[in-house]
Amino acid sequence: METMNNYNGIILIVDLESKECETEDLSEELLEKALGGAAVNMELYEQYKDRDPLILGSGFFTATFMPFACAGVITGKSPVTGTVAHVPFGWQTGVELKLTGFDFVVILGKSDNPVRLWLHDGLSDIDDSSDIWGRDTWESTDKIREAYGDEMIQTFLIGKAGENRVLSAQVSENYWGSRDKAGLGAVFGEKNIKAIAMRGLGALEVAEGFFQKCVELKNEIINGTIKGKAGLKDIAADLGMDSDIIEKLKSMTHRNNASFNCPYPYYTFLKYREAPDAMAMDGEPEPGCLVSDLSGFASLQSAGLDGPRAMEKCCRLGLDPTSAGMILKKQGASNLEALDKLAETGHDKAEAATCWDIENNNEKEISQTAGAFSAAVPPKGIFANQEESAQWWIHRQALSYVLGLDPIIMLMVPEMTDEKIVEFVQVSAEWDEFSLDDLKRITAELIEKSK
Amino acid sequence: MELKVEALKCTGCRICEFACNYHHDDSISPIGSSMMFYQEEKKNYYGMMVKRAKTLYLGRPEGEQILQPGEQIEGASASAKPILLRIACDGCGEEENGPVCIQACPYAVLSMEGE
Repeated sequence: METMNNYNGIILIVDLESKECETEDLSEELLEKALGGAAVNMELYEQYKDRDPLILGSGFFTATFMPFACAGVITGKSPVTGTVAHVPFGWQTGVELKLTGFDFVVILGKSDNPVRLWLHDGLSDIDDSSDIWGRDTWESTDKIREAYGDEMIQTFLIGKAGENRVLSAQVSENYWGSRDKAGLGAVFGEKNIKAIAMRGLGALEVAEGFFQKCVELKNEIINGTIKGKAGLKDIAADLGMDSDIIEKLKSMTHRNNASFNCPYPYYTFLKYREAPDAMAMDGEPEPGCLVSDLSGFASLQSAGLDGPRAMEKCCRLGLDPTSAGMILKKQGASNLEALDKLAETGHDKAEAATCWDIENNNEKEISQTAGAFSAAVPPKGIFANQEESAQWWIHRQALSYVLGLDPIIMLMVPEMTDEKIVEFVQVSAEWDEFSLDDLKRITAELIEKSK
Repeated sequence: MELKVEALKCTGCRICEFACNYHHDDSISPIGSSMMFYQEEKKNYYGMMVKRAKTLYLGRPEGEQILQPGEQIEGASASAKPILLRIACDGCGEEENGPVCIQACPYAVLSMEGE
């Protein structure tokens, strides 16, 4: 098996107590057993369980030509549930992690001072981060990019909520929040990690013929169920969400953006400090907010807050907007200052067990049997696969978490079948023996071990 | 024939950059690409630069711009400067199915124009 076509072949081990980093080879045996992403993360999590590990992992296809192969996964023990949680990340962070030269990063122990991890071009540094401790995620992202001299640096970082270790703290991707509903932002805070900054110009090997196969699959997908649709507004409409939410999204959308190599652009930039159709570079320096978390947006709106501005506030503070909206609704506090207070003082218990106010029976079963997966992903098929069961959803999510495929687009595209995935694994890894049974075993084990 | 970018159709997915590098270098990376995505992330302002044989082409949201050697790249940060060192777009003349960036783009942002 040519294991290294899609991977660099390196696992980074970061010891926050000794401030030392070392590397291990990503073995062929581990890839044969777990393939990638969350399944490899789980193996590493169990290996280092006694040192409170936090694992960053890239998927088998992450950063390749495979359509919507943008994702990676952070795995750690959730302070909300007390069990393991996998948080999928996207945008450009999944790709950037792999291009740093590290496929997986295992972070062990706790630092005695605020630090950030700087991963770049096969190198890793643990740098003091007292310069940005106390700053919000927007200021911190700017400062990190300025300090390392590159505006394309991608970050995972926390705001005040994470620093104060409140349960609804989330890890943010750059300025824009994330799908972290598990409180991993508080785990960053507990470990004294303010940020992980990534920039890489590495190169991955590609199997012959893989590019053309991916182009053909991409063409099938863009001419399939997603054709003519874009943005969060179309997803919200398909899910039957409140018309006020859909109208707000429609009226404020500047541009719909896509994560790396994604054929459906659901990251929706909302402009509210200048006209949404303003395209020039000059104008407001911070004209709006990039939104990808529909449940969070809806939750803040439901609490009586202005969704776009409240999303920005949550992003800056590093707060999960779904949980924050639910708490504020209970408190009857519909103002942005209440979010500041929440990030300072926290609350007894995060509110994120059921976060989708849509007609669907899957959500409860998913939270009971696969609560390790992010609740930021709608609990049903989108545009297609509408009548599929909770078990179907769990299997599709497990696939996306292992392979590095966007977990939301995974619910939209019937063109991406299990059989096709097996074929693409075989071609890209030049691994003819890989079978549908292997794929099913790997996802089933991930689901079982993550309970 | 030269590559043209319709910037307002672009969603910033960047697969074109990686496809271009694959054409030049047979690997997955953005570093050897003749194209470079540039952005001001907080403004959601972004576009695509293409290194041509004698000029630099900017596909910007406000419209396209062609820079001659020595002209400043307005609206692109220091991170975008390495484009000047890159290999120029060769139109993928030897590729059976045409330019790989056009093949890879899911949004029909790119096309070839001119003689």
